[in-house]
Amino acid sequence: MFQSIINFLNSTGIAALITNAKDALAAGATGFDGVVAVIGTPLMLIIACVLLYLAIVKEFEPLLLLPIAFGMLLSNLPMFANSGAIMMHPEFFTDSKYFVDGHLDMQMIFAEGGLLDMLYLGVKLGIYPPLIFLGIGCMTDFGPLIANPKSILLGAAAQLGVFTTFLGALALGALVPGINFGVKEASSIGIIGGADGPTAIYVTKTLAPALLPAIAIAAYSYMALIPVIQPPIMKLLTTKEERSIVMEQLRPVSRTERMIFPIVVTIVVALIVPDAVSLVGMLMLGNLIKESGVADRLCKVAQNGLMNVITIFLGLTVGATAKAETFLTAETLGIVVLGLVAFCFSTAGGLILGKIMCKLTGGKINPLIGSAGVSAVPMAARVSQMVGQKENPSNFLLMHAMGPNVAGVIGSAVAAGVFLSMFAH
Amino acid sequence: MSVTEALGEGVMVTVVGLIIVFSVLIILMLVMMAMKKIFYKEPEKTETKADEVQKTVPLQEQSPEEQPAEDPNLIAVLAAAVAASLNTSAYNLRIKSYRRIDNNAPAWNKAGLRDAIDSRY
Repeated sequence: MFQSIINFLNSTGIAALITNAKDALAAGATGFDGVVAVIGTPLMLIIACVLLYLAIVKEFEPLLLLPIAFGMLLSNLPMFANSGAIMMHPEFFTDSKYFVDGHLDMQMIFAEGGLLDMLYLGVKLGIYPPLIFLGIGCMTDFGPLIANPKSILLGAAAQLGVFTTFLGALALGALVPGINFGVKEASSIGIIGGADGPTAIYVTKTLAPALLPAIAIAAYSYMALIPVIQPPIMKLLTTKEERSIVMEQLRPVSRTERMIFPIVVTIVVALIVPDAVSLVGMLMLGNLIKESGVADRLCKVAQNGLMNVITIFLGLTVGATAKAETFLTAETLGIVVLGLVAFCFSTAGGLILGKIMCKLTGGKINPLIGSAGVSAVPMAARVSQMVGQKENPSNFLLMHAMGPNVAGVIGSAVAAGVFLSMFAH
Repeated sequence: MSVTEALGEGVMVTVVGLIIVFSVLIILMLVMMAMKKIFYKEPEKTETKADEVQKTVPLQEQSPEEQPAEDPNLIAVLAAAVAASLNTSAYNLRIKSYRRIDNNAPAWNKAGLRDAIDSRY
């Protein structure tokens, strides 16, 4: 009779916590690894709770951060190795020990994987980010961009942060001994500067899957912090006169133009950067569904039901890839720092080109709309509006800033395609 | 990999990457400019005169105590209503004045109208 009670006690999470720590120390983990082996699991649970606090109380991108944080919590609960209760095995997707001929061992994943492993296939196979883009397309109005084509350049300039951070990550990898950032890792970190969660996840799952949780968390946290990060840079780089420029009213855009735009963008992008098509193509499909007005039901489901389902799956599984051994590293710290650098340089890139365009057009363009070239839609545009209105309360920059803002989505998807075509094959 | 080696490749990728991003978006910009040439016609400037405003907008829904002083909200509403009924943009209109038109319909008409409106609630 006691045996069954002892069996139960030996199967509890508390027992697993103690046994795992003992095993790791017996296997010779010392120094930092030893510390992670002993307190890693509780520490990850604490980090998950801090993220939950940020999501729920501080409302930092709660729609994503909440599932991410809870996914982190679920996959870091203390479990015995090989327990059937483990919901997520990130090692199946990142450790080449588990691969067959360099590819995922699907049979093993199906046989031994938990719920989150199954859902994570949607990330690993590149299904979720394009579907999110489909929903974003249904919600995006490219009208302000079509009305003011020049503003697309600001969306390109804001990719400066992506590439400078790429350089920064390479330098950090070469200079700091504990950090191993090659070109693939550097690309994934750089793309944080695109301020586009799905794009960052799409690149990282292909190029540097081990860094996925850190990059996703950094990207979404900084997106939530855009109203804090951007205004000081905007004030630093522009003068009071530039900030108070009132821009001309945008022309109305005809239905035909709205219809042709998504089709042409898809074809042009495919001709130059085919690797960006799964993102840009789905974005434009969503937009065409919306603008055509003939498939209202599809539009509704893509931007509500479908997008919400995918957001839950994406957040939960990305969070669940964060295990103590891979997350509690110097690299995560590096990513957090570089992510901020990326956001700052992207903002600066857009502003600098905005200033140049302001000079060239004889003061017709308010450089503040340049900072909206980072693609966090519509936060970045709102920040432009807010900062502009502080100088000149009767100035409405919002629609002008939406042009660079949606261009930034295309720009960061193209930058992602560039990295993928250079390093994924 | 040494620092110089790593950065050398990095700089190359950066330059090529930025060129590609810019060229794709510049092509899209040209496409949009071409679209403007082909599909967009400048709307004719229709300067609507003040009395036309009075005709198209029967101002009977204002509160009777309407002050003659300028109310920017009211002007915005009037401009939008006129623009919508004339099928043009509010930016092509210049409202010089507006005046409340007295409703000189018989009392029974007014009562009937009110009844009809009330029955919709």
